[in-house]
Amino acid sequence: MTGIKIMRLPVLFFASLLSLLHPATAPADGAITKAPDFRLPAIANADGTIGLDSYLGKVTYLDFWASWCGPCRLSLPALDALYKELRSEGLEVVAVSVDVVDEDSLDFLQRYSVSYPVAIDTTGDIARSYAVGGMPSGYLIDRTGVIRAVHVGFKRGDEEKLRQEIMELLEE
Amino acid sequence: MKPVVVKLIVVCGLNLLTGCAGPEPVAPWERGYLADPAMQWQRSAREAKFAGHVYTSKEASSGGSGAAGGGCGCN
Amino acid sequence: MSGHTRTGIDSPLVRSISATLSALPAYQSALADAPPAYTEVGIRHSYYTEDSLDASAVTFGSRSRYDIDVTQLWIEAPVGGSWSVALDVQNDAMSGASPWFVGVGLDGEPGVVMSGASIKDNRVEVGVTTRYFWADGNAGLAISHSDEDDYRALSFAFDASWNSDDNARTWTASASRSNDTVTPVKERIPVFIDEESLQTQSLYFGVSQILSRTQIVRIGLSYTMSEGYLTDPYKFADHRPEDHDRWTLSSGYRQFYSALDGALQVDYRLYSDSWGTDSHTLEVGWHQNLGRHVLAPYLRYYTQSEADFFSPIADREADYYADDYRLSSYGALTAGLRWTVQLGDWQIETQAERYQSDGEWGLFSGEEAPALVDFWRATVGLTWRFD
Repeated sequence: MTGIKIMRLPVLFFASLLSLLHPATAPADGAITKAPDFRLPAIANADGTIGLDSYLGKVTYLDFWASWCGPCRLSLPALDALYKELRSEGLEVVAVSVDVVDEDSLDFLQRYSVSYPVAIDTTGDIARSYAVGGMPSGYLIDRTGVIRAVHVGFKRGDEEKLRQEIMELLEE
Repeated sequence: MKPVVVKLIVVCGLNLLTGCAGPEPVAPWERGYLADPAMQWQRSAREAKFAGHVYTSKEASSGGSGAAGGGCGCN
Repeated sequence: MSGHTRTGIDSPLVRSISATLSALPAYQSALADAPPAYTEVGIRHSYYTEDSLDASAVTFGSRSRYDIDVTQLWIEAPVGGSWSVALDVQNDAMSGASPWFVGVGLDGEPGVVMSGASIKDNRVEVGVTTRYFWADGNAGLAISHSDEDDYRALSFAFDASWNSDDNARTWTASASRSNDTVTPVKERIPVFIDEESLQTQSLYFGVSQILSRTQIVRIGLSYTMSEGYLTDPYKFADHRPEDHDRWTLSSGYRQFYSALDGALQVDYRLYSDSWGTDSHTLEVGWHQNLGRHVLAPYLRYYTQSEADFFSPIADREADYYADDYRLSSYGALTAGLRWTVQLGDWQIETQAERYQSDGEWGLFSGEEAPALVDFWRATVGLTWRFD
C-alpha cells in the first residue's frame, strides 16, 4: 500500500482492507509539482553541502528517512541496490535524514551503509517544504525537476514497483 | 461504585486526555522521540505477558492490557 | 513545531504536494504498521519465589510457598511485505505448597492450613500469532494452547489497530475467547470434582493520542465475562459463583525528556467486578537511555476491596464463600528495575522485582487474610535480531 497514491479513499478500517484489492490510482491530470530546491549539509558520500539544483537534467530519487524509522532499515539497502544498478543509466539518489542529531544518522549508516549522497535536515524545514507524509518518503523527480511520484512508507517488494517507475522516467 | 472511584475516573481520564493544552499537530518527521523504545506502552511483549500472568494469578483483578490469555498456573 | 499543520504552508507548490499527501500514512512509531524489518529470536528465564509464611500465620503444614521457573522461547519473523508470524513457547515448572484453608489457630486468630506435601506441576503454553499490516493499521490473530496436569486452556484472540488521517490517533479493538478445562489431581488433598469447564470472553476498545512531539496518552475500556467453574478445587472452603463479569478502565501516559534522554511512564487501571471487588493499579516508571544501555526502574501500587463472599474464615453454610487471600482487601507495593544492553544484533535483558502486600496498605476496609503473598521475581533474557 505504499505505491504512488494521489487520491485515497477515506482512511477507514474496512476501506483500507478493500483498497488492497485495487491497484494504485494514477496521478491526477495536470498535477505538475516542481520539486522545491534546498541546500543542506552533507553527512555521507559528499563534501560540504548538497543542493537539488545540481541534479537538474537527471532522474533523481529524493528520499527522506530517519534512524528511528523501522521501514528505513529496508528502504536504505533497497535504494542502494537500485542506485548501484541504474546509476550508469542516469539515476541519481539523494537522501535527506530528518534526525535531530547527526550521530544517530551516522550510527545507522554504519549499520546500513549506502553509496549515494546523504544530507541532514535537523530543523525539518525541507521535510516541511515537501510536506513529507510519512517515514520514509521518497520523491521521484524527472529531468525537468517535476515530482512524478511519491512513495510513503516502505515494505518488502516495493523496490520492484519503484524500479519500474524509475525505468519509465529514464526512458523519457 | 464508590464516589472516590468515580472521581478518580473523571480526574485521571480528563487530565490524561486533554493534557495541559490540546494536542498539537506533530509532523511525520518530528516523531523521533515518540518512536523511542522509552515511549512504548509495554517494556517488552514477553515481559508484559509474564508480568500480567503473575499479577493476575496473585490478585483478584485482571484485564486492561488488551486481550485475555489462556492457562492458569495459579496456585 | 508549534501550531503548524502539515497543510498550513503558503506556497502553491507545497499546497499541491500537501493535497497529494494529506491522506497518506505516516508511522506513528518505528514499530507501527509495518512488519518488523528483521527476524527476532529470544529466550528468557525467570525465577519466581514466594516468601515463607510467618510462623504465626500457619496453623498446620509447611510455611514455604510457591516457586516457579519460567522459560520463554520465541521467534518472530516478517513474511513477505505485509505479514509477520510469531511462535511463542513457555514452560512453567511449579513446586511448593499453597493454602488449603484458614481455620482458627491455637492463639484464637485465623491461621492457614497448608496443602501439605510439596506439589509439583508443569505448564506448557504454545502460541502462534499472525499479523497483517497495511498502510493505516494492522490486525493480528493469536491462538494459544496451555496444558498442565490439572488445567487445559485453548484461547483465540483477534485485535486490530488503525490510525486516524493525521496519524496522531490510533484506535485499537480486540476480542478474545478462552475455553478451559479443570481436571484436579486427586492425590494431594481431598477434591470433590472430576472435570469442570470454564468459558471466558473478553472485549477491549482503546484509543491513543499523540499530544506533542514528546507526549502520548491512551485510554481503554475492557469487559470480560466468565461462565463455568470458577471455584478453586484445591481449597477446602471455596465456593464461587459460576459467573464473573469484570470491567476495566485503563490509561497510560508517556513523556519524553530530550535533555535527559529518558521518558516518564505512568499507567493507571480501574477495575470493578460482579463479585464486589474494585481495585486501583498505579504504575510509575522511568526509562533512561544510556547509549547502548537502558535502565528502567518502576514502582507499582495496587489495592483491592474484598469480594462479597470473602471472609477470613469461610462460612461454609453461605451460598458462596471463600477464604482465599486473593479475594481479601489489601494493598500491595512493587518495586522493580530493568536493565538492557544492546550489543550489535544482540540484546541482553535483566530484571528484578519485589512484591509485598499488606492488609494495612489498602484503601478499602476489610478484615485481613492471614496468607497475603510477598514474592521476588527475576529475569534474564537474550534476544537476537537478524535481517
